[in-house]
Amino acid sequence: MAKRGRTGFIIAFLSPAVLLYGFFVVWPLLQAFYYSLFRWKGLSPNKTFIGLENFQNLVKDEAFHKAVWNNLAILVVGGFAILVLGVLLAHGLQSNSRPIRALRGLYLFPQVVSLVVVAIIWQFMYDPSSGLLTKGAGAVGLDGFTKPLADSSQALGAVGIAFVWYSLGFYVMLFSAGLKQIPEEVNEAAELDGSRGWHRFWAVTWPMLWPVKRIATIYIVINVLNIFALVWVMTGGGPNRATETLLTLLYKTAFKDSLYGYGTSVAVANFIIAMAFAVVLMFLFRKNPEERRA
Amino acid sequence: MRFWKVIADYFVAQVQFVWSIVSKPRQLVALLKRIPYFLGMLLFALTIIVPLVWVVSTSFKTVPEIFKDPWLLPLEAQWQNYANAWEREGIGAAFKNTAIVTVATLVFLIPIGAMAAYIFAKYPFRGSKALFGMFLGGMMFPNFLIVIPLYFLLQSISLYDTMTGLVVAYIAYSLSFTIFVLTGFFQALPNELAEAAQIDGCGHYMTFSRIMLPLAKPGLIVVGIFNAIGLWNEFPLANILINEEANRTLPLQVVEMATAQQYSSDWGALFAGLVIVTLPVMGVYWIFRDKIHETMLAGAVKG
Repeated sequence: MAKRGRTGFIIAFLSPAVLLYGFFVVWPLLQAFYYSLFRWKGLSPNKTFIGLENFQNLVKDEAFHKAVWNNLAILVVGGFAILVLGVLLAHGLQSNSRPIRALRGLYLFPQVVSLVVVAIIWQFMYDPSSGLLTKGAGAVGLDGFTKPLADSSQALGAVGIAFVWYSLGFYVMLFSAGLKQIPEEVNEAAELDGSRGWHRFWAVTWPMLWPVKRIATIYIVINVLNIFALVWVMTGGGPNRATETLLTLLYKTAFKDSLYGYGTSVAVANFIIAMAFAVVLMFLFRKNPEERRA
Repeated sequence: MRFWKVIADYFVAQVQFVWSIVSKPRQLVALLKRIPYFLGMLLFALTIIVPLVWVVSTSFKTVPEIFKDPWLLPLEAQWQNYANAWEREGIGAAFKNTAIVTVATLVFLIPIGAMAAYIFAKYPFRGSKALFGMFLGGMMFPNFLIVIPLYFLLQSISLYDTMTGLVVAYIAYSLSFTIFVLTGFFQALPNELAEAAQIDGCGHYMTFSRIMLPLAKPGLIVVGIFNAIGLWNEFPLANILINEEANRTLPLQVVEMATAQQYSSDWGALFAGLVIVTLPVMGVYWIFRDKIHETMLAGAVKG
């Protein structure tokens, strides 16, 4: 681009975005790390510097253990369910006919509905007095499924199902796009070599899905660590912390108990966990196995 | 009703397909292999349709009907539920707030984002990559990391519990995604166009507003739709930054209703509220679904 007035133009066009982002995103981000080193209760401006004491308390805090554990459980069980169901359903979506396109549109419905609405729908589907699922389960003779959200042994599973219901469509789309990217020649070659069914899936399709698997795993990790509205509206983290997650704990600590310093340390811990996962994922997916062969 | 016709066509096609090959054994085996996928897809479709139909059906029921059997359809449409939700339960006021907040955010977000994206795409300078990376980082880390400092920041500049404050926060938080998508669109525009315009005497500003911005219109529409849906539905930030009932957005108001309805059990109004929240986004989604699918998957499959 022409030289004259370039610098002024860059500054004029970039500054609104940089100022807004800097002031309302980057600056609070830096403050978060700073606040996590303080004891800071209530609305008083008095903060006491206590170094890493918040984190030392956090490591011993049973609520925090519970929250980390629940996030991990949703990540492992829910993530596994999403990957398996996603890949299977994606196989069914391979044609581009109109009905399949309509079905694809339908699968993404839950994604466009507000998470709050999703949470309320599921909360009332599980309602003891007149929920769609609780009544349905009773009608087909399933006992013991009358108030899943109030039962601490069922609540996490019930919330997890809602999470999978909400997310699955996106991953079906993702894997179906991934399957389409596998070149037709590869499938034909496999066919000629007599590779069919499961064998072909494990030997050809699954490894070829590498880029999509990577991005899907990253999305799942981010989404699980970000779970808030769904759990908050459905159970508030209860009963008895059975569905407590990192962000519901953060919210309660800061905005219900007014422990702002301690709450920020939960946020920073969440960030550290996310970073740890990022490192692990980068290691696991460090090299595309297909690139060597090609 | 086109949707149902499409579904019906699908079943007809499946039946014809079965009929056409049922006499040929090899193809019959191939068909049998398709059945599990077909059933799985149908099952998943049903798990989505049934709850949504249930929500709409319940929104038209009387209270005794609701508690009699959740699986039955309403005998007579109770439009009263919608009036109750809109007036008595404050969904109408919240609808207006959400519309204002969403539109106000987009009006500032799209130009600010487009300007920054244009610079990142066409005016590289020392450190521009790093700056771009900083914006992208905003899409990765959990937003919740910053809510506590943000809460106090907005209080200190008297924007806490105001729609203005919410709009400002929304603009800042939506910039990452907006700049990410729009930079891609501007990068795809050929440099020669801008150079030709500048030879013809257009300055930097005019080249942008007359040539490049109109060409990026498809991108502007896509990010506009994406952000509109996301903002309309947004809950966590609004939940922290808004307090007064007069300032509540739809997601906040509907949660408020749900909490209250567990005790007063007027589910009809609550479900009518859910339909009101969802209908606008569903409509927008259905109109633009192909564009939306494309953008959702863009980048993702390129790895």
